[in-house]
Amino acid sequence: MDAIRTDFHARPPAVSFAAGRLRAFGMSARDGASTGPNFSGMIVAIAERGDREAFAALFGHFAPRVKSYLMRLGARPEAAEELAQEALLTVWRRAVAFDPTRAAASTWIFTIARNLRIDLARREKRPPPSEDLSMGNAPAPAPDVVLAAGEDESRIGAAIATLSVEQAQVVRLAFFSDKPHSEIAAELGLPLGTVKSRLRLAMSRLRLLLGDIR
Amino acid sequence: MTPRHHPDHALVIDFAAGTLGPGRNLVLSSHLGVCPACREEARLAESIGGALLGNLPPVAMQVDALARALARIERPPAAPAPDVPSPVDWIQTPPEVAAAARRRRWAAPGVWVAPVIRGPGAERTYLLRVAAGMAVPRHSHRGAELVCVLKGAYHDGARVHARGDFAENDEAIDHRPRATAESECICLIAADRPLVARDWVGKLFQPFVRI
Repeated sequence: MDAIRTDFHARPPAVSFAAGRLRAFGMSARDGASTGPNFSGMIVAIAERGDREAFAALFGHFAPRVKSYLMRLGARPEAAEELAQEALLTVWRRAVAFDPTRAAASTWIFTIARNLRIDLARREKRPPPSEDLSMGNAPAPAPDVVLAAGEDESRIGAAIATLSVEQAQVVRLAFFSDKPHSEIAAELGLPLGTVKSRLRLAMSRLRLLLGDIR
Repeated sequence: MTPRHHPDHALVIDFAAGTLGPGRNLVLSSHLGVCPACREEARLAESIGGALLGNLPPVAMQVDALARALARIERPPAAPAPDVPSPVDWIQTPPEVAAAARRRRWAAPGVWVAPVIRGPGAERTYLLRVAAGMAVPRHSHRGAELVCVLKGAYHDGARVHARGDFAENDEAIDHRPRATAESECICLIAADRPLVARDWVGKLFQPFVRI
C-alpha cells in the first residue's frame, strides 16, 4: 500500500533515447520548480508540427504505463501491448483535440486508454464517450472548479500522497481493480458503506486540494 | 434544465476509472452529458486516474513497439463510424443508444423495450418507453438497476424524475413508475438481472419483457 505514496515522490525516469529532447521540453513555463518532462508540450508539438521525437518521448514514457494499467485490470500481456499501441496512436491522431488548459497530458492519455478498453469490451467501434464529454463541446465548467492550466500529475500526485493510507488504498483499488465495491469491501473485510464513505472522503479532500488551484 | 437526481459519488468514480462495464457506462455517460456537476466530479476523478497512471511501475513494451507505432502513424486512420444523432426531444446520448430505438418491441400496453447491450452475464441494457400517463407493471428488482431519463419524466411515488435525471434502484425497491401526463417517457436502463413482476399484469407480460 505504501507504494502509492513512494511512487509519487520518485520522478518518472527519463527516456534515454530522447533524453535531450526531454530536456528541451523540460521546464514548464508556468512552474519553474517543476523539473519533470513537459508531456503537455509534447502533445502540442505533435498537434502543431507532427513532431516525431515528441511522440517517441511520449511513447517511451506512457506506453509501458498504459500496458501496466491494462494488465492490472486483467488484460493479457499481448492484448495490453496492442491496446497500449492503439492508445498512443490515438494520441498522435487526436493531438489537435488536446487542450492543455483543461487537462494534464496523463489525464488525457488515461481517458484514451480507458475508453479504448471499454470499446474493446464492447467489441464494437464507437467514439470514446467520456472523452467527447470532457474534452469536446461540453460547456466550460466554472473557473473555480477547473484544474489549473497545465496542471501536471506531480501536483495531483502530491495531493494523493496526503491521503490517509486507508483512503489511498480505496482510491487505488477503484482505479486498478475491476471489481465492484461490494467485492472490494469483502476483500478488505469492511462494510460496503465504509468503502464508499472512504472513497467519498478521499475525493472531497482531493477536490479541496486541487479544485481551487487558480 | 440541469438534472436534480444524481449518481452516487462512488459510481462517478467507477465511471471515471472505466470499471463500470459497457451498459452501466452508457447510463452514466448519458447523465454526465447533461450534468455539469457530475461531469466536473468525473474530471477530477479522471485527473486522479491520470496521476496514478503516470506513476505506475512500467511494464516493458516489445523492443520494436516504437518502430511499429511510427510505421503505423504513416497510414491514414480508418474512417470513423458515422454519428447517429439522438432524436431531437431526447437528451444527447452516445450513438448506439439512439440506434437501439430501431430494435423496439412491444412489451405491454403503452410500453416498448429495445435492447441496447446484452451482457456481460445476466446484465441487460435497454431502452424502456412508457406512453404519457401510463405505468409500468408493478415490479421489484433482483440486483441493482441504473436509470437515466432520456425523454419526458416519470413519477416514482412522490418523486419526479425528469430528462437527464439519474436513479439507482435495488432489491429494496418495489415500485410502479408512471410516466407524467405531458409526454411519453423514455429511459435508458442497465439492470444486473431481470425484473421481478409483482402483480398479475406484470406476470402476464413478463415473457414479453425478456430483453
